[in-house]
Amino acid sequence: MANEFGENPIQTEGDIVTCRKLIRNASVAAGFGMTDVTRIVTAVSELARNVYVHSGSHGVMRWQTLYKPGQIGIQLEFEDYGVGIPDIDQAIEAGFTTAGSMGMGLSGVKRLMDDMTIKSETSVGTIVTIEKWGRAK
Amino acid sequence: MEHSHSKYISNFNSWAEQKRFVDFTDKDVEFLKKLHPFAIEYADTFVEKLYEHLMTFPDTKRFLGDEKMLMRLKLAQKSYFIDLTSGEYGEEYFKSRIKVGIVHQRIGLPPRIYMSTYCYYMQLIIPHIYGNPAFDAETSNGIFSALYKIINLDQELAISAYVHATDEVISRQTEEILEMSTPVIQIWEGVVAAPIIGMLDNGRTQQFMERLLEKIVETNSPVALIDITGVPQIDTATAQHLIDTINAVKLLGSQVIITGVRPVIAQTLVHLGIDLSGIVTRPTMASGLKVALDKLSIKFIDPSKA
Repeated sequence: MANEFGENPIQTEGDIVTCRKLIRNASVAAGFGMTDVTRIVTAVSELARNVYVHSGSHGVMRWQTLYKPGQIGIQLEFEDYGVGIPDIDQAIEAGFTTAGSMGMGLSGVKRLMDDMTIKSETSVGTIVTIEKWGRAK
Repeated sequence: MEHSHSKYISNFNSWAEQKRFVDFTDKDVEFLKKLHPFAIEYADTFVEKLYEHLMTFPDTKRFLGDEKMLMRLKLAQKSYFIDLTSGEYGEEYFKSRIKVGIVHQRIGLPPRIYMSTYCYYMQLIIPHIYGNPAFDAETSNGIFSALYKIINLDQELAISAYVHATDEVISRQTEEILEMSTPVIQIWEGVVAAPIIGMLDNGRTQQFMERLLEKIVETNSPVALIDITGVPQIDTATAQHLIDTINAVKLLGSQVIITGVRPVIAQTLVHLGIDLSGIVTRPTMASGLKVALDKLSIKFIDPSKA
């Protein structure tokens, strides 16, 4: 199967909508079931909003579909050029927020997806990479 | 549309910058003035030729209207061409060019026709720049360059105004869709229902909350059903918006029942760790309505058993 990939800027609130739509279509095309599609799109919504809120409107989402024998996968990368996350462990803790929101976003995304890694450098920016795997039909 | 018009007029200063951008100077104004007598002399011929050309395209013809309309258009076109070399490029000129863009957008004339009209005009006037015994080679080049600049400035203004007018239409429609997509209706004495379709973002929540609260007060309803069957997914921001709305309703002394919680949404909410334990939720609108009616002590009697 073909390896699909793409990217979308995250600069306005409208871009969050575009990201969700792009990934919804990509996950359905990759062969994910509706439950997983909803999980993936929710995670996208969460991370795209993080980029929008924390990056001063300079960020990008990159994605690609992955295939292993008998498995389908999608990998997404959210990069922003914001203030960075000083303490990643704390950021993943449920209830921690600097934006006055619920603070459940990152911890929730971790549970929604199979894998999440965060690379961050203060005053340079943050890259959050997530992956979801499913059984190929 | 007057609104967008005035927005552009206040932008007259930025047009001065645009002039510098294309290096439109007093020298260019002088060159254009040299061409002006010829522009006046041939204006009628140019306009006739232009419309003759335009009329050969059935698609274009339908924008030009009947005989009377055509006369008016030709007159407008004539003064438009004449103004081009008048040497006066102040606020009046600026406004007239903006207006062209807005009017074209309003009547649905595609920008390609506007652009091609200029191209055709250039073809008609070039022989009068280069084949004219009154101008030496240097003057002809100067005139040509100046004309090119003013046409570029014209086009930029008209197209910007055109795009802006289109943007206004889109944002107005977006607002209309927004309003239509979150209706709040009274479905029973004391029960209002609000089906949400699509994601709840900041702008929409604000509007939705206002309408819901108003309707609750207006109908004096103790119970409000918020149906989320049409919400594709709920992230923490959407959940927060919902909780804010629920709390606002509580302040009015009414209660919210969230209905249409699909299994997949329930799963994601649990994964996200969102706590909705204090909120009454039901899988369907029907079961939510039953809870609401119970709350209002409304009982139904089965006539067959009566």
